[in-house]
Amino acid sequence: MKDLNFNADKALAKEFISNFADANGEAKYMDILQEVANHKIKAVQIDLEDLFNYKDLDEEFLRRVTENTRRYIEIFAGAIDELLPEPTEAFHDDDHDILMTQRAEDATNNTDGSDSRQKMPPEIKRYFEVYIRAPSKGRPFTIREVKASYIGQLVRIAGIVTRCSDVKPLMQVAVYTCEECGCEIYQDVTARVFMPLNQCPSNRCSINRTKGNLILQLRASKFLKFQEAKIQELAEHVPKGHIPRTMTVHFRGEITRKVAPGDVVELSGIFLPIPYTGFKAMRAGLVADTYLEAMSVTHFKKKYEEYELRGDEEEQIARLAEDGDIYNKLARSLAPEIYGHEDVKKALLLLLVGAPHRKLKDGMKIRGDLHICLMGDPGVAKSQLLKHIINVAPRGVYTTGRGSSGVGLTAAVLKDPVTNEMVLEGGALVLADMGICAIDEFDKMDESDRTAIHEVMEQQTVSIAKAGITTSLNARTAILAAANPAWGRYDLRRTPAENINLPPALLSRFDLLWLILDRADMDSDLEMARHVVYVHQNKESPALGFTPLEPSVLRAYISAARRLSPYVPKELEEYVATAYSSIRQEEAKSNTPHSYTTVRTLLSILRISAALARLRFSETLAQSDVDEALRLMQMSKFSLYSDDRQKSGLDAISDIYSILRDEAARANKMDVRYAHALNWISRKGYSEAQLKECLEEYAALNVWQIHPHTFDIRFIDA
Amino acid sequence: MGGPPYDCLANPLGAVRLTFEKAIGLGSGTLTHPSAFDGKDWGALELFRHFLFQESGLSQVPILNPKTLRWVQHNSLVRYRGMIQDMLGNEFYVGAYREDGCSWRTNKFTDVSQYPMESPSDTCIWERRLLYCVPVPGQSSWTEPSCDMDPNWSPQSREKRRRMDDEDEDPMDLAPEDEVKSSPITKKMRDDGLHSASPEPMDLKTASSSSSMSTFQFVDRDNLPCLVKIYDSPESDLKLNDVFEFIGVLTFDSELAVEKDDNDGLSNSFSDDALVHLPPNKVPRLHCLVHRKLALHDFLPGSPIMEPKPHLVKEIRETLFRHLTAVLGNDGVAAHFMLLHLLSKVHTRVDDVAVGKLSLNLTGLSKESVSVFGTRINQTFKNLLPFTNCMPLTLEYLNTASLAPKKDYQTNRLIPGFLQLPEGSHLMVDETQLESGSLNSIGIDNTKLLKNLIEFQKVEYDFQYYKMEMAADVRLLIFSEGKSNIVPADVIVPFQPSSLESSEMPVAEALQAWRWYLATVRSLPHSIGSDMQKVVEDDLVAARQADRSLGSRDFSRWLTMARLISSSLGETSLSLEHWEMVKELERQRKERLN
Repeated sequence: MKDLNFNADKALAKEFISNFADANGEAKYMDILQEVANHKIKAVQIDLEDLFNYKDLDEEFLRRVTENTRRYIEIFAGAIDELLPEPTEAFHDDDHDILMTQRAEDATNNTDGSDSRQKMPPEIKRYFEVYIRAPSKGRPFTIREVKASYIGQLVRIAGIVTRCSDVKPLMQVAVYTCEECGCEIYQDVTARVFMPLNQCPSNRCSINRTKGNLILQLRASKFLKFQEAKIQELAEHVPKGHIPRTMTVHFRGEITRKVAPGDVVELSGIFLPIPYTGFKAMRAGLVADTYLEAMSVTHFKKKYEEYELRGDEEEQIARLAEDGDIYNKLARSLAPEIYGHEDVKKALLLLLVGAPHRKLKDGMKIRGDLHICLMGDPGVAKSQLLKHIINVAPRGVYTTGRGSSGVGLTAAVLKDPVTNEMVLEGGALVLADMGICAIDEFDKMDESDRTAIHEVMEQQTVSIAKAGITTSLNARTAILAAANPAWGRYDLRRTPAENINLPPALLSRFDLLWLILDRADMDSDLEMARHVVYVHQNKESPALGFTPLEPSVLRAYISAARRLSPYVPKELEEYVATAYSSIRQEEAKSNTPHSYTTVRTLLSILRISAALARLRFSETLAQSDVDEALRLMQMSKFSLYSDDRQKSGLDAISDIYSILRDEAARANKMDVRYAHALNWISRKGYSEAQLKECLEEYAALNVWQIHPHTFDIRFIDA
Repeated sequence: MGGPPYDCLANPLGAVRLTFEKAIGLGSGTLTHPSAFDGKDWGALELFRHFLFQESGLSQVPILNPKTLRWVQHNSLVRYRGMIQDMLGNEFYVGAYREDGCSWRTNKFTDVSQYPMESPSDTCIWERRLLYCVPVPGQSSWTEPSCDMDPNWSPQSREKRRRMDDEDEDPMDLAPEDEVKSSPITKKMRDDGLHSASPEPMDLKTASSSSSMSTFQFVDRDNLPCLVKIYDSPESDLKLNDVFEFIGVLTFDSELAVEKDDNDGLSNSFSDDALVHLPPNKVPRLHCLVHRKLALHDFLPGSPIMEPKPHLVKEIRETLFRHLTAVLGNDGVAAHFMLLHLLSKVHTRVDDVAVGKLSLNLTGLSKESVSVFGTRINQTFKNLLPFTNCMPLTLEYLNTASLAPKKDYQTNRLIPGFLQLPEGSHLMVDETQLESGSLNSIGIDNTKLLKNLIEFQKVEYDFQYYKMEMAADVRLLIFSEGKSNIVPADVIVPFQPSSLESSEMPVAEALQAWRWYLATVRSLPHSIGSDMQKVVEDDLVAARQADRSLGSRDFSRWLTMARLISSSLGETSLSLEHWEMVKELERQRKERLN
């Protein structure tokens, strides 16, 4: 009965192979078979997804294929045997073909045997190998989830390769010749170990009772490439307090040499028990070792560009994008356990999003990655912020300025211990190509790395000229650095420049430089005291007042945003130019310039604005983006120089007043719209509350009138 | 026949088989297919739980240790106490099978089939999980239940004693190993105690208790690892580094090892089979029926279950405090902090903060004074705490020791590191031995590990391709000359002993009470009332206004100390008095620091 079934299934398989047409209407598998017949390729991959999409899909058949895959490989191979077209191109006969022709001739003379061992097994004739690939839809299993009930089935597993054996030949069909009768005897080898035949089973020998000696013919036997590997669960799949599980994987034929230790791969394969032989079999498989017979290998790529949205994520992103407050919401969801530092988090969010890379016609490249440097006293959660960002980014490398390995940050030429060849090994910055590289203890960096980092930050390449190797490696990475002040703690009596222990050439390459200080004020002290008491009282963090978005949602949103490349519309050009020139002028006016405003600053403004536009899913920059970019830059400066502001004698309220008066005077108008006012003052780093306070105070002095509903300002002409 | 037709203690597999036959409906006409169980329990566990806990059979079950191992029976019920050191993944086995003409049989809870399986016509494959357990690192000798000093404390140990004496007289003790190896078949027969299929004369001989004891050749007599096979329990129940008591069927299967030798020529480079690295004649197998997690107070020998009543607790606290003061050379402040330190415990983790830890750094100790006080404190702790460890922090040690566990992919094992410690361990770090010199990369990694452990109570396990953080709960005590920067503790107390006199050895009853006190009081609940909360908050803010260098860590430490002080007095809520004590202690400590 079973045989009948299999014959029917073989017919189904045949029909599928000959009739399946892919999306373009091409007969996909017949094309492959033609290639096989021409000895161009060896592997025939049956994609179960194709079977699923096949117009005459028999669901029962599909289920049988997934649940008894090994048997069905045989069936498909049989079907292909029958369908294999004639070669259309001439190819060079190899040993194998010559043997086959000879055998075909012999077969007519030697058909005395009804013994199965004398019949040529189909495997030896085949030039091709059949693989059945699991559909790539849905989430792959973790190793832990593959249970006993999956034995014999086709499964898809994600893991990291930990060990790999050499590729060795594995006997598939052993061929013997008999000394007495000259018969060729075939033996199928299914297990890793087999018992060689030593007595000729042919009719002629048994009738003559000669007990002919069999000699193994290595040249005539069929061998397969065979490789064994171990895969281990990925760190994120291991439940807390457990050890990652491992699994043995066997690769055969064409899919050997596809993996190396350390690769993160997704495998589809058949989960099989190892048949025991010999004495072990006496224990009758009481304990069964299992392995995965690999059918296909896919390497994981952790890049935004290849990030695939899953199921409901697209919808979720669309919903989030409609929410006006997405910028704040996303920023707050970064490291939600770290209290405050909203502007720093906003900057970090923009670092994740980045701006599009530009390549000019003359071949010059303008980087789109934002570089941010966080400075601050020890113990203000800088490292935690860094680590969190790395967790959110699909590709991120966390390292310290003094990277512990010899490779360091950039790259090194090393001598391979086995071959004695010089090999190039990329450091953290090269590994983080197309991602984010977080460098802690930036100030303690080796001098050699520091010079190289100049190049990385602007040209985004690492050049190497060592040991006869001259090359340039890509390092298109956004750098997030954290540094401690020069004397361990920030010394308020010294100038910022003295506190920051980095050369200006390096500092100017950072788009944003942030100083996180632990400042004294009653409110934050009380907040801290409350937090600590709450934690001890309730054994949990106080409620955040909002639900942070999951890192996976963040990642999905950011990857969706990164697909856009917004441009600067004509009408905004003027605005940006004025903003830039006014910063330059301000700097020229002051006698102690804090910053080095250069063309790099202008590029930074554009980069930050572009990142903001991406967050809005907009193809064009808006004025609000530029304003926010300017505000962030101003805030980052204030974090460094806020003390000077106090020294200048102006308090916030009067400063706001003077800003508004100057702006109004420049426009030569008596009316100022509230929205504009808010824009101007926020660019200087003041808050809306301060603006309101200022409006009320000066309205009381009859300097201006405030519109009761819109809060628009009208100066009273003096 | 009266009573149950099986003996859970001597023939647990018989009991398993009986319940299995009942469950598949043998003799009732309608047969259930065993695949319906899917490897899950069919009622056997209920039987054993009943036997162990209702009929108080637990105390009759021998504990597996190097001593008892010499006489416990193969395939009998044993107990094993240990820490889960490694998880070897799962193993598939033929859980149930049927041969032509026979009924279903099960292989659950055994390594070797009880009947030869020639060609089963139908099989069910089930899975079990393998855990590699080791005795708890730094376990104090008093926690061993079969305490040799006092053989009369319970009837079961007397029984054991008797049997062990028998053992010593037995000449078979030194039976040559090859004799055992030569009879694998007979041993397989012997596996089955109830239905002896073919009682050969040889069978009878080997059935005596002494037959296979020489199967175990120990490298280390004090250190008996055990491979525990877990059948019915969710994965989340058993975590790495947890201390458990496993009750199950003991198997040692020497023929497995023999057979492996034959196969070695054929086996490939991937011989990470558990059999090779954990030869069954060195590591016994335990098929776990029932397991329970052990807390610290489970290690108290024969402890009377006492209610932590305040007056009782206060009394014990007083005597313990006096003892500690004496040990610490009459330094009351240090003794106070020491007491709090001993009671500390990670209650919860909020973000990155381990709430409840209180590591202590005694400064002002030199090499000479450590040899006096260090050893004295060490001895005291060994007497008081179940798990204590000591680490001499020398330059050479830092540069060579492997502190973090590391995965070895050649053998597919987790190589234990010194810092793989179970919850509630105590670790003493002696930094006075440290001299100036340079650290290599191992040394730097090790210092980083120590720092992470003391700051976050986390240890990074090295899986080569990635690192995994494991939560820990280890109390750290550091001896150093100045403030330790390698292991920055929560509390730094300059140690000022006033006498060198050694304290007298405490009496056994007092020790018993102190052990109970230390194990119980630390897990008392604790709350802060709303009025206290206000007081505390105001105090904290005021303190920070006065001293800018105070941070959230200091606040956290004070609250931890407040909790520990009220717990140490048996109270469950913070009172103003306790809070004042915290402040007073801090003041005294500060005075010393300046």
